[in-house]
Amino acid sequence: MIQTKLLVIGAGPGGYAAAFAAADLGMSVTLVDLDKNPGGVCLFRGCIPSKALLHVAKLINEAKEAKNWGVDFGEPRIDLDKLREFKNKVVGKMTGGLGQLAKQRKVYFIQGRASFTSSRSVKVELNDGGKEEIHFERAIIAIGSEIISIPIFNIKSDRLLNSTSALDLPAIPEKLLVIGGGYIGLELGSVYSALGSKVSVVEMMNGLLPGADRDMVSHLTQMLKKKFDAIMLESRVMKLDPVKNGINVTIQDKTGAERVEFYDYVLASIGRRPNTAGLGLENTKVELTTKGHIRVDNTLNTTDPYIYAIGDIAGDPMLAHKATHEARVAVETIAGKRTAFEPAAIPAVVFTDPEIAWAGITETEAREKGIKHEVAKFPWAASGRATTLDRFDGVTKLIVDPDTERILGVGICGPGAGELIAEGTLAIEMGAVASDIKLTIHPHPTLSETVMESAEVFFGESVHLYRPKK
Amino acid sequence: MSREFKLPELGENIESALVVKVLIAPGDIVKEDQTIIEIETDKATVEVPSDIAGKVSGVYIKEGDKVPVGAVVFSVEDAGSAAASAPAADVKATSAGEKAPTGSEAPAKDGKKTAPASGGAGSGAASGAATASAGAGTTADASASASAETITDVVLPDLGENITEAMVVKVTVKPGDEIKENDTILEIETDKATVEVPSSASGVVTEVFAEANKHFKVGAVILKVKSVAAKPAPAPATPAGPSPEEVEKSKVAVMQHKIAAPSSIPVPVAGASAVSIAGGTVQLSEAELKELKEDLANPELIANPPKIFLDMQPPILQNAAPAAPSVRRLAREVGVDIRKVPGTGPGGRISLNDVKAYSKALHEGRVSEQPQAGGGGAFLRQQPLPDFSKFGDIERKAMSSIRAKTASHLSYSWATIPHVTQFDKADITILEQLRKQYSPEVAKGGGKLTMTSILVKVISAALKQFPQFNSSVDMEKQEIVYKNYYNIGIAVDTEHGLIVPNIKGTDKMNLTQISAQIAVLSEKARAKKIGLDELQGGCFTISNLGGIGGTYFTPVVNSPEVAILGVSRGLYEQVYRDGEFVPRLMLPLSLSYDHRVIDGADAIRFLRWVVEVLESPFKLLVVE
Repeated sequence: MIQTKLLVIGAGPGGYAAAFAAADLGMSVTLVDLDKNPGGVCLFRGCIPSKALLHVAKLINEAKEAKNWGVDFGEPRIDLDKLREFKNKVVGKMTGGLGQLAKQRKVYFIQGRASFTSSRSVKVELNDGGKEEIHFERAIIAIGSEIISIPIFNIKSDRLLNSTSALDLPAIPEKLLVIGGGYIGLELGSVYSALGSKVSVVEMMNGLLPGADRDMVSHLTQMLKKKFDAIMLESRVMKLDPVKNGINVTIQDKTGAERVEFYDYVLASIGRRPNTAGLGLENTKVELTTKGHIRVDNTLNTTDPYIYAIGDIAGDPMLAHKATHEARVAVETIAGKRTAFEPAAIPAVVFTDPEIAWAGITETEAREKGIKHEVAKFPWAASGRATTLDRFDGVTKLIVDPDTERILGVGICGPGAGELIAEGTLAIEMGAVASDIKLTIHPHPTLSETVMESAEVFFGESVHLYRPKK
Repeated sequence: MSREFKLPELGENIESALVVKVLIAPGDIVKEDQTIIEIETDKATVEVPSDIAGKVSGVYIKEGDKVPVGAVVFSVEDAGSAAASAPAADVKATSAGEKAPTGSEAPAKDGKKTAPASGGAGSGAASGAATASAGAGTTADASASASAETITDVVLPDLGENITEAMVVKVTVKPGDEIKENDTILEIETDKATVEVPSSASGVVTEVFAEANKHFKVGAVILKVKSVAAKPAPAPATPAGPSPEEVEKSKVAVMQHKIAAPSSIPVPVAGASAVSIAGGTVQLSEAELKELKEDLANPELIANPPKIFLDMQPPILQNAAPAAPSVRRLAREVGVDIRKVPGTGPGGRISLNDVKAYSKALHEGRVSEQPQAGGGGAFLRQQPLPDFSKFGDIERKAMSSIRAKTASHLSYSWATIPHVTQFDKADITILEQLRKQYSPEVAKGGGKLTMTSILVKVISAALKQFPQFNSSVDMEKQEIVYKNYYNIGIAVDTEHGLIVPNIKGTDKMNLTQISAQIAVLSEKARAKKIGLDELQGGCFTISNLGGIGGTYFTPVVNSPEVAILGVSRGLYEQVYRDGEFVPRLMLPLSLSYDHRVIDGADAIRFLRWVVEVLESPFKLLVVE
């Protein structure tokens, strides 16, 4: 039996951050996870491996574009095994590093599956077969989410991929169908497209990336229309029929017409959901929300005073950086500090080409909720840096409160948008007004100038964009 | 209709009480003045008597609950609705009912709602919306159709103070009669008057149990009536609760945050992100319904939602204060609500200095903010405690409510009253002889003649001589309140903590009566049975630690009183008298007083007066 001050269940970006922060505060910490090192979905099967592959995809695409600039690399020859090895090396380096960090901090790492037996104890089924009982003073649940599956996916075929198996690069499909036009499907679709697959996307809604502003998405859609074989909106997959070397897919379009198409691989990526099954929550006072998340208050405390929950399991948005931030709040609360989870903005990034990133409120949200706002947009066609990249398909926009001139939201579409959004997030968190951004000197020539210039647009005085003064 | 018993006023400044014991359960017959619960307030444990009688239809509190004054404790079935049962009807009585839509949907749909919860889960937005509208039928309506043929018991209603039974003089209805609510059904004679008893139900009389010239107890069934009107039906058969949407909505609306959601709610799957509420159907258990109802009936919860649940608010606060994260954190740490801080920066941005200025203003009382719970005094903020566990093993225990109140009250007294303590000694050699001499006489009255009881008598007389010692200070109105009554409090050391009951009208009591009263109060205090009226209205407190030892101490004035007398152990001392040292029994006295109304000279005059009376009790007869 183990006795620990803090038990952290799940070692993803929420769990390991919590465990490390708690250890740094002098708590005795036990961290339980199924994988052999900390990292979770993000490092083993999500953010990190997909970004390694997207980096390669970007390289392939730019090499292709280079032809227009007088440099011809010829057709790329792709060694899939080596590419997989690179990706695995990235993952191994990162997770191995975390394992080291855990050891240095004397975090006791246990490989197994934990299940609550009471509000103060869990039993762990160890990966190597044994059992362990852990008594804790406080626990943080950070076991994240799982891939959503629906009945039509219940077929026996190694040609049906999910986000995990797709990252293992089983092959370069000739024809790949991506089910779901969300960020996971589009990112992985982009990878396979760059590797040479003919990629099609089928999405139930009338646009890709539900939740993001349409003007942002339209740039991406246009680019994807060039790169992908087909983008089927308002369409749904009715049936998957495994055949030799592929799957026959029945797709219904918005008129209700159905047709059958052959793909040699299908990637199902319709989303993720919190998974609380098997956690033994019935032995605690933890309650769930109607959406199946664990109900937490703004200190990440569940309805059980001894138990906290962070990350995907504790609510949307399911983002690693939200989990990491929550980890800190939960640990500090446990350490007796007066703190709360109260972000003004949680940035979201889609790592497609172009990238889309936003923070704070979106224009759509502001409109729907009747929040008084003005939008100031700076198209990248007017940016010197974007021009040098031969990329005109970007836009930076600010959503501004016209009364206080406070920045309420920032949206960026274009290469590197994911890096640029950090400035917008900081602006929102700091309660910056448009003048603050306008009056901050931004380095030239960089894409970050587009943030400054969009603030200038708000005042009708952008240097590189003529708009009549308001 | 059922009637409700609400937690009565418990006295000054008592807003809520902890339920220590619940002595009734649904189905019990409760009589008036019967003790139904025991509660612990900040001051004492109190038995709460019922002021209604009848058959208990629902108990809405449980042991361990903190219940605000005015909250419904339990309800009884009045005559007429005996069969109408709790859950469905009572949700309506609470604020949930007001929130719940009152559309009268067809029972068919409600019938569907009662089906097991496996139904629509996962079928997405459309079915979710459909269920939501189907959920519009209230539970009362739902049960109405089911109850068309309900037989209702009409019981002998509560007849007023202390009447537990009555003799029936005349029965004015017979089986087959159709009666309406409030029609006279009986004439009864109590020991006070003859009364016509109205029916509490409408319908056709099926059976009459009342007979002339027989006695019936309050709560006894006197008629059975077949209801023709739509009355709330027996609930067990129709467990249809509000849909989860309604539950969620009313919970959120009424209480904003704190809710207890049924954990059995099915989880929507793919594509449900657009639907904020599950598209499934849910059957609320009675316990869940009751819990919800309790929450909704609790005004304290509504006023002070204890937790902000993240799923009840968008992930990003729309009304987030325009302040840097570091500033927000500082505000939280110093206990300032950042949303209340006026920002002086561009766009109303709140700077670190704004928070500091606001915090300073708070402390200087220029801005009023609800004091944060948990502080030691009413206005002092506790400094952060070190992590004691770093230094060794520790154990944390919750303060008992008596301890918490004592801590808070004494902090307040000590911090607001400019205390001065005056010491003196009384020669009680003769008094002690007299005490022993008269002890047997006093014992006949049931008490023990002690120094404390003698002091109660002496102080009562002293207060008449020095009225400023029987006063209170009203700084707000710049007035001094003089009291023309004499209630002396006695600090009683109990295992539960310090309790100060007082004896009322001590100026009109003799020592035998006072001693007997002290015995009664001490016993009550130790048994945690002190009544609230015995804790209120004190004028002056005596704290006698002489039984344990010590010489002098500095007692803290029991605000809003203005003085307190501390008594220590009497000891024989060498006293120089008439040219020689003689052993005299000397009693050390410590008088703490509120210097705002009592000057030092007055204090020593008062104390000298007390000493003189103790040394020469005959003086009392002279002044009185």
